[in-house]
Amino acid sequence: MVSRARGGQNTRAGDGARDGDARGEGMQRPDWAPETIDIERPSVARMYDYYLGGSHNFAVDRAAAQAMVAAVPEAPLMAQANRAFLRRAVQFLTESGVRQFLDIGSGIPTVGNVHEIAQRIAPESRVVYVDVDPVAVAHSREILDGNDRTAVVQEDLRHPERILAHPDVRGLLDLSEPVAVLIVAVLHFVSDDDRPAELLRTLRSALAPGSWLVLSQASADGREGDERAEAERVYRNTDNPLWIRSRAELTALFDGFQLVEPGVVWVPQWLPDSAESAEDAERAAFIGGVGRLGG
Amino acid sequence: MPEANGARSRPGTFARAWAKAVSGTSYLPMTQGQLEALLQRLTEQLATALCSEPFDLRVGHRVGAELVASHIASAEGLGRTVEVVQLRLVRDLGLVADDVEDRMARLLAAVATGYARALRDRTLDEQESIRRAAMTARAEAERALRASEARFRHQATHDPLTELPNRTLFTERLTAAITAPGRGAERIGLCFLDLDRFKVVNDSHGHQVGDALLVTVAERLRRAVDGHLLARLGGDEFVVLVERCAGTDDVVAVAEAALAAVRRPAVVDGHELAVSASIGIVERPVAGATPGDLMRAADSTLSWAKASGGARWALYDADRDRRELARQALSAAIPAALQRGEFYLDYQPLTSLRDGRLLGVEALVRWRHPELGVLRPDSFIGLAEETGLIVPLGGWVLAEACREAESWSAAGGRAPYVSVNLAVRQVHRPGLVQEVRRLLNSTGLPPERLQLEITESTMMSTAEEPVRALRVLADLGVRIAIDDFGTGYCNLAYLRDLPVTELKVAGEFVAGLRAPAVEPASCTDERILASLVSLAHALDLTVTAEGVETAGQAERLRAIGCDAGQGWHFGRPAPAERILERIG
Repeated sequence: MVSRARGGQNTRAGDGARDGDARGEGMQRPDWAPETIDIERPSVARMYDYYLGGSHNFAVDRAAAQAMVAAVPEAPLMAQANRAFLRRAVQFLTESGVRQFLDIGSGIPTVGNVHEIAQRIAPESRVVYVDVDPVAVAHSREILDGNDRTAVVQEDLRHPERILAHPDVRGLLDLSEPVAVLIVAVLHFVSDDDRPAELLRTLRSALAPGSWLVLSQASADGREGDERAEAERVYRNTDNPLWIRSRAELTALFDGFQLVEPGVVWVPQWLPDSAESAEDAERAAFIGGVGRLGG
Repeated sequence: MPEANGARSRPGTFARAWAKAVSGTSYLPMTQGQLEALLQRLTEQLATALCSEPFDLRVGHRVGAELVASHIASAEGLGRTVEVVQLRLVRDLGLVADDVEDRMARLLAAVATGYARALRDRTLDEQESIRRAAMTARAEAERALRASEARFRHQATHDPLTELPNRTLFTERLTAAITAPGRGAERIGLCFLDLDRFKVVNDSHGHQVGDALLVTVAERLRRAVDGHLLARLGGDEFVVLVERCAGTDDVVAVAEAALAAVRRPAVVDGHELAVSASIGIVERPVAGATPGDLMRAADSTLSWAKASGGARWALYDADRDRRELARQALSAAIPAALQRGEFYLDYQPLTSLRDGRLLGVEALVRWRHPELGVLRPDSFIGLAEETGLIVPLGGWVLAEACREAESWSAAGGRAPYVSVNLAVRQVHRPGLVQEVRRLLNSTGLPPERLQLEITESTMMSTAEEPVRALRVLADLGVRIAIDDFGTGYCNLAYLRDLPVTELKVAGEFVAGLRAPAVEPASCTDERILASLVSLAHALDLTVTAEGVETAGQAERLRAIGCDAGQGWHFGRPAPAERILERIG
């Protein structure tokens, strides 16, 4: 499967004791001890950039991405379809009046940034990018340098309370006003053991009525057998085991939000630019949707 | 060329075909409509260039660059662009130009050139930017690693409560101060400080108050010994390292500053706490010193300050330290010596002043030490009392004395009783009565032939149990004597409660009797003795005078009315058989 989003190499170290236990690592790293940077391991964020046609990647990322393409030839198409979904969703939200965005798992923010899309329509829009991959974060900071309506935070989706409490998040976003939380092409890196519903509940409880949630992730629906197994095997090599979910499962994760039409669908089918662009939507292998917090 | 004229014209057939051809070759951050509008504009530029004079190839370069800038930036994007332009541009737009094929080839070459240049630049830029990001991230990670190492190091070397250096750091610094090159000629000092009765604060106010007091003390000490390394070793122990001192005075000055800083009462959590501290000072040349020896010496010296009552400093004294170490070594050897049978008893006669008869003997323990020779009790009994080893040792003495005494028989009169010293701990120990009773049973020694000597200080405690035990023993018929009477804590009230049989008057009063009776001091001692004797007799007790060395003393004691005497005049301590020869 494909994703922009979380860095491959640091999720282990970034998660401290619990990961150490869960994955059988010996030494426990104190919470405040830093992660190490290992660019010898592929990063899902840079693989995603490669699929989108970017050159913000290293040989190790390209090798992993090519291995994925060998297993799943549509991988670049899937990345692009997902990125296009993000573009349309942000455009929809900005046109609906949203001026604050929290993009969790933002990856390498190259072509088609959230702030570019939103600020083209509403220049006052504010965007906080969150990613766990330190290289992606450093790159984001470089690109966004000088844009004081954006901020970049290095944090893990699995610690929503830390994201919400982060001074840069608090500094740029007013949580008493509606915020659009984007978790696009990331959830398939969050296992059921990490309790995604709970993570989302934590985020939801901090949001003002009228806030929004955008989710997309790799889906099992329509992909079978060896092809699916091979794709999972390739992504497992990036330290990020893949958790494929069905449309019903992703719909359940919108708990508390009202899904806007057309609900959770193959991402090319979500408010397509044209009927043509929604053809063969299941090839994109990504499902997604947008929900609004009532009240 | 209708479509080529209007710059804002709607996408024509060709632009839509072009858009379709490049869709999906890379991610395009725009809608299909926006893509078509973009390509319509480029179509018009290409069409104009094909037909214009002079033929300007730079248009082709610009179009190629603009495609890349718009993210139509893949090999496939270029290939499909070349294909669709070559196949359809002239036809779809109905273009007419001289040598159009020739121009088309050159224009497409220019587009490809511009495209390739731009793509190459973009690729290199992106590679550079991601490498820079990786470097930044790595530098940040390394900085964070260093910071965390520094933090880890700080945590490992500092006490979390007071933020002072801990034992680890102190030991490092002390070792460095001693072992660093060129330090050999210097002198070094340590002040080992411990709060007096800190446990009382913890016990009566709780650990939180205790901790807060430690923080206060640490802060005061930090200011008082400014410039010297101050560490908290744990609990209420602090230590100051004084490097490059000129002599003892320098370190004493530091110690006095520290004591003064601690001495002011501290208000902690609403409690005013009176604080004092004791300090052990070691000061010596660096040459030949080791950290371990310095710390041990300072620790011992601290205990001397504590033993002197606290709230003071004490200075290390190597001779005293050696003596104490020897004493400790001796003390540690007692249990094994008991097992190996290195102890034995000598006996000293207790003789009637009236008729010179041997009334009894006092058992005196000896240690036949394998290296030090025969040791007298004053070299190890004190130690045994401190360490508690007096209980097994005293038990052995009591048992041995009973065992030996049972075999003594007097040819004519009564056999002498044996008098055994009991240490405070033995008297206060539950089970004394059973122990004595068992011994009397097992040895067959009649109770009246056993005398237990206790000191006045034994009775200082208000505990009732010892009094009860002694009373039971007295009821059995065992004699109870007060040893060293008149030198201890002289509260006569216990004479009322205790079943005492005899007072043993300390030798120092007897010593005065050696001088001629006309000397005032001698006269005073004699009067004291006379009063003690009349007091004892009034209470129906007998009196034995200790330390009788001369016939003159014996005579004066007899004149006073003293019942018995003990001392060199009557016989030195000796093995039982030698004593018994005299009555045999």
